[in-house]
Amino acid sequence: CHCYALSGKASDMDSQLKIGFIGAGNMAFGIAKGILAGNVLPVNVRVSAPSSRNLGRFQELGIAVTHSNVEVVSGSDVVFVAVKPHLVSPVLNEISLHVTDRHIIVSVAAGVTLTTLEELLPENSVVIRLMPNLPCMVQEGALLFSRGTHAKQEDGALLHSLLHRCGLVEEGPEAWIDIHTGLSGSGVAFVYLFAEALADGAVKMGMPSALAHSIASQTVLGAGRLLRESEKHPAQLRSEVCTPGGTTIYGLHTLEQGGVRAATMSAVESATVRARELGQKSAAASRK
Amino acid sequence: MYPYHSQITHGCCQVSEEGFHHSLSGDQFQGFPSSLSVVCSQRRHIIRMSVGFIGAGQLAHALVKGFTAAGVIATHRITASSPDSELPTVSGLRKMGVNLTISNKETVNKSDVLFLAVKPHIIPFVLDEIGPDIEDRHLIVSCAAGVTISSIEKKLLQYRPFPKVMRCMTNTPVVVREGATVYATGTYAQVEDSQLLEQLMSSVGFCTEVEEDLIDAVTGLSGSGPAYAFTALDALADGGVKMGLPRRLAVRLGAQALLGAAKMLLDSEQHPGQLKDNVCSPGGATIHALHVMESGGFRSLLINAVEASCIRTRELQYLADQERISPAAIKKTTLDQVLQQPGVTVSGGANGNSRSGLSLFNNRGGPSIKKKN
Repeated sequence: CHCYALSGKASDMDSQLKIGFIGAGNMAFGIAKGILAGNVLPVNVRVSAPSSRNLGRFQELGIAVTHSNVEVVSGSDVVFVAVKPHLVSPVLNEISLHVTDRHIIVSVAAGVTLTTLEELLPENSVVIRLMPNLPCMVQEGALLFSRGTHAKQEDGALLHSLLHRCGLVEEGPEAWIDIHTGLSGSGVAFVYLFAEALADGAVKMGMPSALAHSIASQTVLGAGRLLRESEKHPAQLRSEVCTPGGTTIYGLHTLEQGGVRAATMSAVESATVRARELGQKSAAASRK
Repeated sequence: MYPYHSQITHGCCQVSEEGFHHSLSGDQFQGFPSSLSVVCSQRRHIIRMSVGFIGAGQLAHALVKGFTAAGVIATHRITASSPDSELPTVSGLRKMGVNLTISNKETVNKSDVLFLAVKPHIIPFVLDEIGPDIEDRHLIVSCAAGVTISSIEKKLLQYRPFPKVMRCMTNTPVVVREGATVYATGTYAQVEDSQLLEQLMSSVGFCTEVEEDLIDAVTGLSGSGPAYAFTALDALADGGVKMGLPRRLAVRLGAQALLGAAKMLLDSEQHPGQLKDNVCSPGGATIHALHVMESGGFRSLLINAVEASCIRTRELQYLADQERISPAAIKKTTLDQVLQQPGVTVSGGANGNSRSGLSLFNNRGGPSIKKKN
């Protein structure tokens, strides 16, 4: 296999934190960007992947790349396991011998429970399960993490400080992770659906498609920012937009008649239930 | 959006009340007016004027009951007239000490403030009957849905140069002093007239002035609103019974839940959406129930209902303005009784089609009205 030249192999045993990524996909990239926006130096970050396909963009950030998962683990304090769920088991089996109790292993894999992770790793391993979402790539993610048996509050705080430039970072019990998947993991897609429909509505009324899409995306973005910054309840903001007998209340009435609220609640529910199912399936599979 | 105190200065004494007394027009109104149950100051202002009701049905009965409970006017100063003395509300009024008569003219003569508490299609007959007896002191307050101030003024201008007319839309919970009333002021009504009406109606609930063009919307919302609530309560009680509660208890609890929720909202500065959130614990019973409601289109149903009531009010107003109404729309007995009143007549609109309407405004097509001397 190829061995790429490593820039800044960590021969220096300084106190600076060393971060490793196993897997070089979108999630890993988004998190890496967020981490680098903080205090971590690129020279202290490394990433491994079986092929070189995705490694280029990491190299552009000054991050060391490799094909060796073991090398990433040995050279890191915090290791993000960012591979597809079905690969978690073989990867953890591969690195298990090199995981010590000074490591913090952070799994980003959907549906892989803390129990499963801890079973695959040495006893007393510090494991955290993290559910990010796609907008991590632009540092506007919503991330929820849950601490494993031996992960202490300081470990959670450390992760929190590493990730806070990725977006909104919250901690919760593991049961909330499936809900977070439904709400915010899949939720991003729900918003895209809504944005597309907004644009389609405008096109129906005579606006050119490209303009409609551009305005739709800005509308979603602007509304989201206003919601976050105002700290008001969305119902309050909605009421504030509605002048009596005006256009908005007419449009909202049509939405209500379409049962959009119920459909949205059901969508989050379906996605959450599915996340739970997948979690149970992968737990069963890894026990075999 | 925040409560403020308003002082009503009347000729005799001062009343301080908590509540919202805005002049509202559509684009200025924001937020949710909060009204506390009317808290009368220690020095309760008693109205020394006489109040009359043309019509002694549900509305008159409810208002009188409310006024009496509020102690805002003595019942011997109240007169009510109705052609039908068999109405249950008539005996109810009599028991409260109201002077009852079958003569609208008598009511007019004995009153300063005159509530027109008859069905909208009867209003024109009544106005023709009492027109000649109206004097400068009279304040005419129409409670009829869909009947415009201008239509009333147009009628009365035949008899007086400056008829003082106001239009109000109230609702039945005035009977328990939790009414919701709005009023609009006519061309010749004075500030004191507004204050007087507001004082009367504030004693039986929330009262505020609005532009007349909002009254149809108010009808749809709070005029019909109690009916929506009764329907909801009936169904809620059914739900309770289904799940094992005795009926009486179910009704009592359902009503208390809605009453309490309404009170919380009126006392709070929070949006109802926020208050809803406060009740819904994660994964709990309430959020499950709310999802069921959303799936049934609960919200849009309520929006549709308010809209339907408002639109129907406008339709009725349009029909009335057209000054044509089919006889079938009028209960025959009522019409017969009204026609028995001295001084009232009807000119048939002989237009040849099957639907020959009655002309409500008799000044059309010739002098068919018999004016009193």
